[in-house]
Amino acid sequence: MGVKEGGNVGGSSVSRFVSVVVPLLLLAGLAAVPFVGTGPNVIRLLFMTLTLVTASVGWNLIGGFAGQISFGFAVFYGLGAYTTALSINGGIPPFSAFLLGAIVAAVASLLIGLPTFRLKGPYFAIATIGVSEAVRVVMMNVPFTGGASGYRIIDKARFVQSHHYYTALVLAVLAVVISILVRRSKLGLALIAIREDQDAASDLGVNPFVAKLIVHALAAALAAAAGGVYARYSLFIDPDGVFAFRNGIAILLMPIIGGIGTIWGPVIGAFVYGIIHEEVVANFPQAHLLIFGSLLILIILFEPGGVVGLFQKFMRTVRARSSVGSHS
Amino acid sequence: MAPILKLKNLTRYFAGLAAVKDVSFEIEPGGLVGLIGPNGAGKTTLLSLIAGSLKPTSGKIEFEGVNLAGAKSFRAVRAGIARTHQIPKPFRTMTVHENVEVGLRFGRHEKAAGTTKKAEEFLEMVGIAKLARRPAFLLSVGDLKRLELARALAARPTLLLCDEICSGLTETESGLILRLLCDIRRAGTTILYVEHNLRAIMSVCDPVIVMNYGEKLAEGPPTAVQNDPSVIEAYIGKKATI
Repeated sequence: MGVKEGGNVGGSSVSRFVSVVVPLLLLAGLAAVPFVGTGPNVIRLLFMTLTLVTASVGWNLIGGFAGQISFGFAVFYGLGAYTTALSINGGIPPFSAFLLGAIVAAVASLLIGLPTFRLKGPYFAIATIGVSEAVRVVMMNVPFTGGASGYRIIDKARFVQSHHYYTALVLAVLAVVISILVRRSKLGLALIAIREDQDAASDLGVNPFVAKLIVHALAAALAAAAGGVYARYSLFIDPDGVFAFRNGIAILLMPIIGGIGTIWGPVIGAFVYGIIHEEVVANFPQAHLLIFGSLLILIILFEPGGVVGLFQKFMRTVRARSSVGSHS
Repeated sequence: MAPILKLKNLTRYFAGLAAVKDVSFEIEPGGLVGLIGPNGAGKTTLLSLIAGSLKPTSGKIEFEGVNLAGAKSFRAVRAGIARTHQIPKPFRTMTVHENVEVGLRFGRHEKAAGTTKKAEEFLEMVGIAKLARRPAFLLSVGDLKRLELARALAARPTLLLCDEICSGLTETESGLILRLLCDIRRAGTTILYVEHNLRAIMSVCDPVIVMNYGEKLAEGPPTAVQNDPSVIEAYIGKKATI
């Protein structure tokens, strides 16, 4: 894999501008969207994209920072959606319902992590595939959530699209802030060490098992919150929708498109995916998975650093050119 | 003085092969103990057992009076045992400074070790302070070996396990590392130094332990060990009789 966050040599004023000013401008732009009269369809698309940002940033904590590739994040997304749905119907206020969803998913992540994090290499990834399918099948047959026919949410609050939009925006910002804090923390240092060489990390006092469990729980909680926000918006969920294996693939694909293991890669990847995905599905309903599969192969072959990696390469070339120019 | 490390009948099998068999010895605190033997003698396996990277099949590892046999390596580190690797295992995308920071923040507790040295100081000690901001994957083999040492030292061990830290280095570079090991020992850290190269070890270590085919062959001061017929046989072979 290419150079990642923390592998940068020094930090120039340009990259500081990019990493502080651009996100703030983007945030201001997103916050202004409901006021500029873009219409409900654009807001819906951005709402969906923002929930994807949260799930993608969450996945990146365990998949990108700690290098533990999980195909099973649909489990947490779905658990968040269902817990939120059941809670709201049970009279619990929405924000407490999201929190409950996050807690349920975090507990589930521990149950999955306890046996699977003892495995090394690709075994964790393989185990997550099995868990994801198993949970979907179980949810198809659970009677009190309606099984395969799905579950309807009765939200007492009047539907105001912008409220949902801002909820998703705040959650996405929270996810990015958590990601930045984790990366800068002692835990973040342990995670990168585990990704680079788990045995060497342990030989320096890092407990890899515990570090992975903690960050897996955090990642699951974020994915679940995203699922919860989505459930409350859509008012109807079913196992084939929220627990679908393709959701797990999408959550993994976004950080890879944007730049796995970086702070902004999963955000960029979610925007690219969220916006392109709809167009692709609408125009090539039979071939959209083929298109995304091909995209994945191309990225892994030619730019494992994703969009962020491409940008870093571009900046290095510009800097090299300008320093050559100043010498001549 | 009570020994800092006491191995009792330590054994490790890989499938049917005994890589380490019934090895027992003691190390006094403050020593610089050499562990030598031909290729495949079981030196690195023994070191990995002490460091907790491998689990022993049977036997005891008593460190400062506590049995560490079977404990994971991060527990051994927190108890005060740190190791370097024969083939460097750097965190490649981290900077050199961050690599040392891992040892510093996860190693033995500052209070227990009684030192508040910073990452820069450990880099300074091994002579790679000027590379602090560089990502580790850009380092040469020699510098990676130094980084291994700086990182292990940053974990503030009372017992440092060095695995062939001089292999692949030039004469001058290994001379510097050997001098550094002597300084570290003088500062109070006990060292168990595994080496393939006899000359390096004979010049700085006392006592020396010799292994062959997984078993302890001899133990004693370097000169005595050097003249031990079984050691000569292990290294050179038997005198041919016609």
